Amino acid sequence: MLFTSLEFFAFLPLTLLVFALLPAGRRWIWLLLASCVFYGVWQPSNLIYLGAVALVAYGCGLGIQGSEGPRRSAWLAAGLVVVLGSLFAFKFHDFIAGELERLSAVVTGAEPVRLPRIGVTAPAGYSFYAFAAASYLIDLYARWLPEQQHAGHVALYVAYFPKIFAGPIERATHFLPQVRDGLRAHPEALVLGLQLIGWGLFKKVVIADNLAPLVDRNFAIAAFAAPMELLISVYFFAFQIYCDFSGYTDIAIGVSLLFGVKLMENFRRPYLARSTAEFWAERWHISLGRWFRDYLYIPLGGGRAGAVRRYANLMIVFLVSGLWHAGLGYGIGWTFLVWGALNGFYQWLGLATRSFWRRVAAFAPRLSGSVALLLLRVVLTFHLIAIAWVFFRAKSVGDALLILQKIGSRLTELPALALKYPFTAEHAFGFGLIGLLLAVEILDERRPLAVRLAAMPVWLRWCVYYIVIFALLILGRWQAKEFIYMQF
Amino acid sequence: MKPLAKSALVFVAIGLAIYAGVYFASERLVYRTGKSNPFYKIETAEPEKFDWVILGASHAMPLDFSDFNAFMERETGLRILNLASPGTGPLYNRFVLEHFLRRHQTAGVLYVVDSFAFHARAWNEDRFTDAKLLRRTPFDPALARHLLRYARKEGVDARALLDYVSGFSKINNRERFEIDIWEGEKQFDRIYRPSTTATRSRIAYLYPKPPDETVLVRYLESFSALIALARQNAARVAIVKLPVPAQFRSQLPREAAFDGAITRLLEAQNLVLRDFSQALNEPRFYFDTDHLNRSGLTEFFRRDLKSVLAVR
Repeated sequence: MLFTSLEFFAFLPLTLLVFALLPAGRRWIWLLLASCVFYGVWQPSNLIYLGAVALVAYGCGLGIQGSEGPRRSAWLAAGLVVVLGSLFAFKFHDFIAGELERLSAVVTGAEPVRLPRIGVTAPAGYSFYAFAAASYLIDLYARWLPEQQHAGHVALYVAYFPKIFAGPIERATHFLPQVRDGLRAHPEALVLGLQLIGWGLFKKVVIADNLAPLVDRNFAIAAFAAPMELLISVYFFAFQIYCDFSGYTDIAIGVSLLFGVKLMENFRRPYLARSTAEFWAERWHISLGRWFRDYLYIPLGGGRAGAVRRYANLMIVFLVSGLWHAGLGYGIGWTFLVWGALNGFYQWLGLATRSFWRRVAAFAPRLSGSVALLLLRVVLTFHLIAIAWVFFRAKSVGDALLILQKIGSRLTELPALALKYPFTAEHAFGFGLIGLLLAVEILDERRPLAVRLAAMPVWLRWCVYYIVIFALLILGRWQAKEFIYMQF
Repeated sequence: MKPLAKSALVFVAIGLAIYAGVYFASERLVYRTGKSNPFYKIETAEPEKFDWVILGASHAMPLDFSDFNAFMERETGLRILNLASPGTGPLYNRFVLEHFLRRHQTAGVLYVVDSFAFHARAWNEDRFTDAKLLRRTPFDPALARHLLRYARKEGVDARALLDYVSGFSKINNRERFEIDIWEGEKQFDRIYRPSTTATRSRIAYLYPKPPDETVLVRYLESFSALIALARQNAARVAIVKLPVPAQFRSQLPREAAFDGAITRLLEAQNLVLRDFSQALNEPRFYFDTDHLNRSGLTEFFRRDLKSVLAVR
């Protein structure tokens, strides 16, 4: 079920009503049932995958809790192999088989060797709940989750409907205590939840889905599109993917608050980041970033094992992140690996020049604190990230390079081209929406919007609410698209 | 009452009042920008008796492009109303005719047959939920009741009714200030350059699933009901297949089987299928893969259609 579907707008109040009538200690049962309906309504067979992952998580979790030493490690390994191995197989088995066939044809010059395919793609959201299950197992193994866990609570942790399709990738250490303590929604949380739902929907159906048609059109015909049109598409895509994904998580967090569950923050105004390190570590898909930090980067040695290992670890994390993103909306391909590698390279660059910038800051403290430099850093970071997004969105690495080459070759002429460019109403609307988003984000960065809204007189606050609601009705693209990140 | 609940009620009440205002404005825009939607035409037509009502899918629509309907009326001296809409099969067209006959009268119904429209739910029940059609349909309580009947008895998705009554598609119409013209009309004077790829993808679009005998039977029944309805209202019925390019025609799946099935159905009702599909093969008569352009339509009208319409 999509958050933007009519079914969801019937499902949510009904689920809330029954939830409110139940005693706090039993509400998790209803939420588990509702989660199964939410997830299975499209394709009931998807529940088999979900059930299997929950079962493996709980079963291996019991094994971990009941054993010590090598047996404990074996239980963890078994759980991770099943959960993450299946994720890898679903994503890459057929792709790798296809690539090996192509390679065999090139090497031998004969008919390609036919390799078996599994022909199964994992259901929507698998990447997210497989990572959640892996997180549960690792947390148990590391004794961050010491006590015996209730099977139903673990199942709810894996299947919890607001986050099932696109996260946040919640930690069991954060989620399970809330369920165990009984779920209660407070009036303030209800208001905040509704605010987040409204803003999340606005980002998705008004901003992301209105930017999408132009992006889709131009990325589909990269070879024929004008450089200026491609540049606009690159900018639009950067905001489309942000609003699409963060819109989903805002709705997920908002819906969750209605049920008294606090999910972790997943986005923090990422395009205001001053460096790519800040973008990835603190502002973009925070739950995934922390997952990789805690379960991959630190176990690999992180930054404590010498400079070379540190650089290697960073690249490994971003390459794995690239692999994880493969299949999210734009198919499986090498583009995601390049995207991961490029972001890893940005981290290398940041790390290598860090001491130089520190020296500059010490030498000219007024310059380092100036608004102009801050703005320059934000703009530069945004452009680096936007370049990487080209690989994320393009059909192939060749297409991505072509787009960058077409824009790059006319870079010096772009200001003149922009002045002469026949901008359409679609462009103006798109840039208007981006401008609005940035204005809101800058305000939010200085003082949280929820706090601003709470401090407003009632009539003004309600005006803001009505503007958002009627913008959704009048400008939203409700028949448009699935959320990009929920397509695997 | 708790203060929070009281505030929520006031908030909802104000919201509903604003919604009503937006709905009203959207409805006014439907009338200001209306043109090709069949229900708009029914709503705004003079309450007179027509000589012909034309029904069908997009192939019938060029008959009302630009000034062509007026041209046909001048040439024949007849009053003609074209109620065809893109991608619509017999179920949708029956719905249109039923609504038309509540308000107006006609001496004849000219149905332009397209085989694809008899082969998929997508061109029948599912068309009722198409926002592009709903957003241009003026609100009429009788039409809402009619839609409710179709939702209960004909398997039309109840969301179509919900959308229509709430006016959502009109409020949410991104083309709210643009005149309601089907994209094909803008190309009416164009000459098509044949493309095998374009034809193949067009056929794939028209036939989302391979033709299925049981589906065909269902929509032939619906078509039969449409003929019966016309006859109950003393309207004669003429069934035609319009010209299509040879390249397009040759790729239509199981066209001969469809022709056979519809011919048998029509013969049982003392009707004939006037098949003009091979009348104009040259690409210069088309503006795209399968729609007649102005010169093709003029040629077809002079050569064949005029005599069909002239029969009294």
